[in-house]
Amino acid sequence: MGDEQATNGKPPDPMEAFRGLRDSYLDAWAKAMVETVNTDAYAQSTGIVLDTYLSASSPFRAAVEKAMLHVLEQLSMPSRADFVGLAERATNIEMRLDDMDAKLDRIEILLTKPEANKRKANPAVKNRKQNKGAK
Amino acid sequence: MADAAVVTDPLTDMVGKFIAFNKVLTTRTAIAQTPKELVWTLNKAKLYRYIPVVPKEQRHPTPLLLVFALMNRPYILDLRPGHSFVEFMVNSGYDLYLLDWGVPGPEDKNLKFDDYTLDYMPRAIRKMKSIAGVEEFSMLGWCIGAILTTIYAALRPDDGLRNLILLTAPLDFSNKDAITFARWTDERYFDVDKVLATFGNMPGEMIDYGAKALKPVENYIVNYLKLWDNIDNPQVTEAWQAMNTWVTDNVPLAGGVFRQLIVDLYRNDLLMRGEWMIRGERVDLSNITANLLTVIAEGDHITPPCQSQAILSKVGSADKELFSVPGGHIGIMAGSGANKRTWPLIDGWLGRRSK
Repeated sequence: MGDEQATNGKPPDPMEAFRGLRDSYLDAWAKAMVETVNTDAYAQSTGIVLDTYLSASSPFRAAVEKAMLHVLEQLSMPSRADFVGLAERATNIEMRLDDMDAKLDRIEILLTKPEANKRKANPAVKNRKQNKGAK
Repeated sequence: MADAAVVTDPLTDMVGKFIAFNKVLTTRTAIAQTPKELVWTLNKAKLYRYIPVVPKEQRHPTPLLLVFALMNRPYILDLRPGHSFVEFMVNSGYDLYLLDWGVPGPEDKNLKFDDYTLDYMPRAIRKMKSIAGVEEFSMLGWCIGAILTTIYAALRPDDGLRNLILLTAPLDFSNKDAITFARWTDERYFDVDKVLATFGNMPGEMIDYGAKALKPVENYIVNYLKLWDNIDNPQVTEAWQAMNTWVTDNVPLAGGVFRQLIVDLYRNDLLMRGEWMIRGERVDLSNITANLLTVIAEGDHITPPCQSQAILSKVGSADKELFSVPGGHIGIMAGSGANKRTWPLIDGWLGRRSK
């Protein structure tokens, strides 16, 4: 043992045995916990904790929101709902712009590669050809 | 004197370790370093194109779109230089795109799978095809991203999707005993409407807690002990810090998506039963005709393997394969062995089908 350590050039580590013991214990604990969390009892208990928190915090949350809304109104400042409405409108505009971008792409293809576009624009022609091939 | 120089004071040693430990825990490391350009945006979503490093004539002509989960940052795919799936694929000659969903705000609480798959994805894909100048493309979906890509592939089978890769895809919710999340979100214990009425979106911290509580001892104790034991090993600490940066960067899940995930999938398994309606269209898995690769993680506790297997018998694809890889939900793509196992496997499968 002593020779081995001398050869490796490492001082003996008194914690090595402790670490091995610790890891074995943690491994067994981890397996037990994985089984524990996958039970109805655990699901039920976490459900109760969450439900209690939501029920308890809900009145405070509603009161704070109401007060904040009132303050913002008094200060003539926009509320969260106003910003949400604006953001939704901005997304709709973005979608319209994206649709226009797609149309411009199609026009560009039509102008630069009219033959390719004809085939693309009329997939029925392609399908008919495929069907003929299959027959 | 010479001996005194070699022997370190245990107290000083311990303090030094503690300082290093605290530094790793409290600082963020540089991640997502592979050069990329922003090519499209819509609301919070962004489409990035990675700058190719392989000459065009040597590149695979079919571009690949990466679609990650909605409630985590996608840079897990590009974690750090030398250990990045994105870097690996770019070096392997792929024209690579990444769809980053961003962080939903209160205004996005009503977003559903319907919106992501029929408003966002088609637009991002159109842009990608326009930039690449091709009609066919490949798509890789991971976790919830795999649900999104599956819906898209089923609803838009004629949109040019040639190859579909699903990683740890939670698609089959029939075996409730094997899925811990299904047990926790059972309607007897979990009131999804009450949660969403309170928060609007599902908070990232709650999702993070759910994922960690599946393996509480590993995630809350062993993980930190491993760091403590290896605090003098820069290789281990760098990898640990990068992963910790990603794990602690939580993203909320849009309320509408979360409700569908719990009610339609975890509770009623509508997708596999062929009854899931997305904006009035039934998601029929037999419509999927793209070449399909499903990768499952053998030790996955978030998406147990049984959730990803049944799709093979449901799709209409003639070319379909299932690969089983040792590792966990994230480990198969971001773990230390990913560059030797999963990445070459994906490259090998996709490379042959991207000519």
